[in-house]
Amino acid sequence: MENALLIGMTRQMALRREMSIIANNLANINTNGFKAEQPIFEQYLSRTASEDSPNDTISFVQDFGMHRDLGEGRMEVTDNPLDVAISGEGYFKIDAPEGTRYTRNGAFELDAQGRLVTGDGYPVLSAAGTGFTFGPEDGQILISGDGTISTDQGPQGRISLVTFEEERKLQKAGGTLLKTEEPEIPVENVSVLQGAVESSNVQPILEMTHMISVMQAYQSANKIVEKSDELQRQAISTLAKVN
Amino acid sequence: MQSLSIAATGMMAQQLNVEVISNNVANMSTAGFKRQKATFQDLMYQDLKRVGSTSSDAGTIVPAGVQVGMGVRTAAVTRIAAQGNLDITENDYDLAIQGRGYFRIQMPSGDDAFTRAGNFSTSATGQLVTADGYTVQPGITIPSNAIDVSINAQGLVQVTLSGQTDPQTVGQLELAAFQNPAGLDPLGDNLFMESAASGTPTTGSPASDGFGSLLQGYLETSNVNAVSEITNLITAQRAYEMNAKMITATDEMLSVTSNLR
Repeated sequence: MENALLIGMTRQMALRREMSIIANNLANINTNGFKAEQPIFEQYLSRTASEDSPNDTISFVQDFGMHRDLGEGRMEVTDNPLDVAISGEGYFKIDAPEGTRYTRNGAFELDAQGRLVTGDGYPVLSAAGTGFTFGPEDGQILISGDGTISTDQGPQGRISLVTFEEERKLQKAGGTLLKTEEPEIPVENVSVLQGAVESSNVQPILEMTHMISVMQAYQSANKIVEKSDELQRQAISTLAKVN
Repeated sequence: MQSLSIAATGMMAQQLNVEVISNNVANMSTAGFKRQKATFQDLMYQDLKRVGSTSSDAGTIVPAGVQVGMGVRTAAVTRIAAQGNLDITENDYDLAIQGRGYFRIQMPSGDDAFTRAGNFSTSATGQLVTADGYTVQPGITIPSNAIDVSINAQGLVQVTLSGQTDPQTVGQLELAAFQNPAGLDPLGDNLFMESAASGTPTTGSPASDGFGSLLQGYLETSNVNAVSEITNLITAQRAYEMNAKMITATDEMLSVTSNLR
């Protein structure tokens, strides 16, 4: 009897989580390098206790995993010489205090020491494993299509781009950074664009329709809870009627 | 419900975005103004099911866990130092910098400030000053009997005095360059202060290595691009609306729950 209630509840809990994920996608609609996510649900089967039908199962809902849309975001031209967008595969390597992090957000800056850093001030790593430092004598910074950075003083090294066997195993660490224990694979055909950033790949229309369907599913799950509550109440009042 | 606060972070971020855009548009005809851009980052994630955790006795692992993000935050409001257009003014004391560098200005407090707005004039004593009357460093005094002032690309200031044919040199302008000009601390009035993020200035004469050249009779206009600001405004406004919708939807879900009984 309570199973219907509980199934309805698991559904509602999963939907609330889905709503949070949609809200996070919408909140990050203007976040450079952000990748949209979608939860995946699975049935959680459990045997009913009835003796008449031992093979009957009931299914609860459980969130199973997330699907990250790895599609490329729009290229937004900013004309900022330190903005770099990756076209095609790969991630920038960032030397964060907690260890190496990866990102597709190429909105870089220079810090007081002239190092090329992310918005949080973490150095961007070159293919040689060091950072980039520019002085006043370097003048204009040019980044060619293959990631080579050159200034008036000549080539300064190449931006390191890496990829992974299982890109979905990368875990989001906040600040548009990703972390993983997976081995890195250097990208062979590096293709970057200076003066542009990859914007978020969240598709507003998709998210809005998801939002509406989650809302409706939540309402229908609510109906199940409501109905089973009503059934119980009826049962109690009918059974308790003694005349 | 989490989605309420997540959508709220989204609305706050877009509000800031609109504020930055409106400041850019308001300063569209401010000499030497550099446009700003708000950039955002996702907030931390809550691990509901960790990536790579074991999912069975056979040693299979979860390929993609469940991570719920907490919304968005502003990473930075970056100043984009792209060169503005050069506007011809034919005023002898209007100077535009083409390339890197800032004019050094002495504030009344004695501190140094930096600017790219070269709309200078002379004070009662003939000193080269900004529109606010602050002296341009190194100080240059134009003699009162000067009939013509010429400032070349290298910053050499020469005057022709009345009754003389040969121009005389009265001073040499200098520029200051920063490692990270985006990190300068804005004071308003087109002025900036050195900060820990900008690094210390290196000074040099215009048109030398690493410094821009000067152009007399021109002013550098703001580098705000009206079309891109308006399109940014449209995206920001729509994103704000969508986040607001999210709050309404969450509210409806909550009301469904509270109407259960």
